[in-house]
Amino acid sequence: MKTVNRNQWLMAVFALFLLSAFSLHDRSVKENRDGDPLLKDVTAEELKGIIESYEGEKAVLVNVWATWCAPCIEEFPEIVEIQRKYEDSLQVIFISADFADSRERALQFLKDHDVDWTTYFKAGNDQKFIETLSDDWTGALPFSKIISKEGKVVASWENSATFSKFDKHVKRALNL
Amino acid sequence: MKIMKKATLFITISVVVTAFFGAFSPAEISLPAELEIGAKAPMTDVEVKDVSGEMVTLKQVSGDNGLLVIFSCNTCPWVERWEDRYNPHARLAEENGIGTIALNPNAAYRDRGDGFEDMQERAKQKGYEFYYALDKNSEMAKAFGATRTPHIFLFNSNMELVYRGAIDDNANSAENVKEPYLKNAIKALGAGEDISVKTSKSLGCTIKWPS
Repeated sequence: MKTVNRNQWLMAVFALFLLSAFSLHDRSVKENRDGDPLLKDVTAEELKGIIESYEGEKAVLVNVWATWCAPCIEEFPEIVEIQRKYEDSLQVIFISADFADSRERALQFLKDHDVDWTTYFKAGNDQKFIETLSDDWTGALPFSKIISKEGKVVASWENSATFSKFDKHVKRALNL
Repeated sequence: MKIMKKATLFITISVVVTAFFGAFSPAEISLPAELEIGAKAPMTDVEVKDVSGEMVTLKQVSGDNGLLVIFSCNTCPWVERWEDRYNPHARLAEENGIGTIALNPNAAYRDRGDGFEDMQERAKQKGYEFYYALDKNSEMAKAFGATRTPHIFLFNSNMELVYRGAIDDNANSAENVKEPYLKNAIKALGAGEDISVKTSKSLGCTIKWPS
């Protein structure tokens, strides 16, 4: 009986160890338990809610990208670096506008660039998606939009940008 | 006293410089303005080189009832998805007295798949039944306020813009299109009727502007 109890204890401790190691390894699993931890389908309405949920907590940088879009790929590492720099005060929300048949490619790209937070995959009607994100966006990729903690749009633009441009507008969003 | 004056001067210059740059850093960065509905087609007398080698102007390409301009390219997956609908739309336009031209504005990609010879190859490979011309230095795209490929501009017989935006609402599948915007606009224009949906938006590849 004693032996069984000891084994049960050991197994329980081991299970707890595995559980904690897993949750520490992948922070996004905690953030999104009901889907893919790195890439989750999102409709225009859902995205609006996600962006608004950061109001009063963090500034937000929204970036719409795609694996086939050369300017998107060029600026992507810069945006990841921006997220690392302002980890506590800024939330980068990546939205892949890849075609459905390129979903796996998008997921692999995120992993290759060490993205370790939940990102999104555009679902639903394109026009509604574009209009929900910005009246000024014509639909060209990449598209970026920076919103202050107070929910005010600080900047938005089509086409790619450099680290310094992102940094400049994020600083404005954070009143730095 | 001199130090005081220098300090005052420095502060004054700093304030002026800050105010100057502040005034030119708007909250929303302005994007190239797309032509408004009703606006006249720009650069209609400027010659562009078609893949056949022929030099043409927008005025020459236009038909009795108007002109269809498609900003397109060789290197965009969105163009690839919609490309199966290029010829049918060009044919429909012709049946309705409207001329069609596709313009390639990707000046920065002339050595990366959007050069003139690449365009000739593409037109041949896909059997384009319309003009496909080089928009040198993206000048036409700038004048039209085009931002992406594909980006559609449809003009009436007075060369006034009557429709702008997407071909339809489904790049992936012609069979599953619910809103055939351009088809409806061409038919209405040919019939002399009002176009119900005058603008639409779609995702596309940003134009590769010259540096």
